[in-house]
Amino acid sequence: MSSASQPIPPPNDRRGSRSSRSSSNAGFPEPMNSSDIAASESSGFVVGGPPGSPSPLALRASTSPHRRKSRGARIPPDFHLLDYVNTPDSNLICLICHCPFDRPVRLACEHYFCRICLDHAWDAQPEGCKTCPTCRHKVDADEEPLPVPKILERMLDELLVRCPNSKLGCPWVEQRSNLENHVMLYCEYALVECPASDCRLPVSQKDCHKGCLHYSVSCDNCHTSLLRKDLEDHQRATCQFRFAPCPHCSAELLRLDLNAHINDVCPKATVQCPGSIVGCKYSAERETVAEHETACPMATMAPFFRDQQARIERNEARFEPLVRKVGILEDGLSNITNMLYPANANDSSFPVTNPLDSNNPDAFPPAPLMPTPDFRLPPASFPPAPHNNDQSHSQPPFDSQIHHLLTLHDSLRDELSRVASALSELEGRTSMMIMNENQRVKEEMLHTNAAINGMRVQLHWLMSATLHQRTSASASSSATRAGGSASASGSGRSSASGTPTTGGATMRGPAVGMPPLRRLSDSIRQDTKL
Amino acid sequence: MLASKRLGKELTKMHENLAPGITKIKCDDFQEWLMDIRVDDNPLYHGEVYRLKFTFSNGYPIEAPEVVFVRDETHPIPIHPHIYSNGIICLDLLDKSGWSPVNNVESVCVALQSMLASNTKNERPPGDEDFVRTNRQRPRDINFVFHDDKV
Repeated sequence: MSSASQPIPPPNDRRGSRSSRSSSNAGFPEPMNSSDIAASESSGFVVGGPPGSPSPLALRASTSPHRRKSRGARIPPDFHLLDYVNTPDSNLICLICHCPFDRPVRLACEHYFCRICLDHAWDAQPEGCKTCPTCRHKVDADEEPLPVPKILERMLDELLVRCPNSKLGCPWVEQRSNLENHVMLYCEYALVECPASDCRLPVSQKDCHKGCLHYSVSCDNCHTSLLRKDLEDHQRATCQFRFAPCPHCSAELLRLDLNAHINDVCPKATVQCPGSIVGCKYSAERETVAEHETACPMATMAPFFRDQQARIERNEARFEPLVRKVGILEDGLSNITNMLYPANANDSSFPVTNPLDSNNPDAFPPAPLMPTPDFRLPPASFPPAPHNNDQSHSQPPFDSQIHHLLTLHDSLRDELSRVASALSELEGRTSMMIMNENQRVKEEMLHTNAAINGMRVQLHWLMSATLHQRTSASASSSATRAGGSASASGSGRSSASGTPTTGGATMRGPAVGMPPLRRLSDSIRQDTKL
Repeated sequence: MLASKRLGKELTKMHENLAPGITKIKCDDFQEWLMDIRVDDNPLYHGEVYRLKFTFSNGYPIEAPEVVFVRDETHPIPIHPHIYSNGIICLDLLDKSGWSPVNNVESVCVALQSMLASNTKNERPPGDEDFVRTNRQRPRDINFVFHDDKV
């Protein structure tokens, strides 16, 4: 069964399959030989995949543990083969596989097993009479397995495990719950297919970028021929000439580490004082330098200098994009200015007078970047920033374009308030004038009224005098004389309208006093008004 | 893969402690182990050391291991009504119907110890000589009839 679950056959099998592969499908992955195919048919092993082959996460979610991507050969970790850092608590151990539970299930009799282990155990039992492997209690296998307490799952998740690739050098040790992510996505030591398109041998993920390492080299020391990817392991572990004495301290160590030893560790190697970056000229054996270091002020200061240097470099790196950004912003602003005052972009007669402006009218933005002012110019077409740097000398005497705009805005506001105050003043004056005129007209009107009244009184007097004359005339003719002048006026009026005899007199009266009569009516109206 | 992993775990555990009267003799590979058991509290077997041979298949622990007594100069076959003189043991625990994957080498040894300890009859199974002479089958292929509930 182990061979069926192994998606990567041994390399020699691969070579055999490669040589026997037909040329018609050379571009299509065909990583299996006949024995692999036989294995795949029994285990549901899926090879290759459509162009959108599933992501590692999707792979992880798939139920079949034997699926793989067409490119990488990552397989989900088998929890039963894990290497645990500490001996797990015996209560977390499945009695069938003697490993900490993997997806545990609980039976009604309170016995716990890995899902897979229980399935294996029940496969061996006859159909319909499944029993608990521990207590032989009868179990209905079709029922859903009982849920497992969360605390058990959490304890299992927290077990520390080593990466399954630890034998290949992976130092990863973490909680078991993180294992799948690590193996499926992050492990640098996971075996993947060689980056070379015609090579099908597996290679560690971390060596993937080095290109195909499946070519023969010979070890420099023992002249053994081996694959390039195995060279380092060989020199580290197996080569019989792998040890070499250090030329300085004559310590025996791996040839591979010799350079690192001389550069960093060897006490006899000649090194410079760490203060050399600030100018210390001292250079001696590492041991002596260590003594010198305690006394050397430059060596003491060296770390600070290094920090400072690093900080300066960081700041400079940050400074440069800022400069570029400022250039772009300035450009944009000048474009905006040109858009706001398109007609005046080239001459100095700005619509708003500015005190600063008068000092240096010629230095006003001459829009040198835009020979033909186009106010529909989209902001995206700003000229490149460095171009603008040359123009910074001919900038207007403002701190910035924004400042200029702000001054304009302020002077406009002043103007407006001035206009507003003038307007209100004018209004006040007008209303005062109207009032005065009104007063005068009113007084005149009173005078007129008084005059009219006087004239009415006079008219009355005249009328009554006339009536009196007429009555006295008729009385003299009829020899009857009566009436006071006061009552004579009222009866005189009625007799004037009522008696036809007086009609001639009244007709005559108006002919003489036409204006008074009109005034009479006026006075009557005035009477009603008063 | 699973079998060797599981046997490896059992071996590590046996390194730490073993039930009294049980000794591991040879556990070099994951195919065949030799274990010794002693049953001193039964006068029938007092002072004797019996050697057991465990043979594991790839299906272990789902499949039962094959367990027989082996005889040499210092290790006789215990006399028991369910143990044939060629070492084959008639015990339901070792048959596929009675085997459970929760059993392990040590628990099998303990079961055999208790089977011997509770025995009072100093005799071989009936038909022992015939069986020993004619049987060429492996123990796991023999269809035993388990009738004795006392052991």
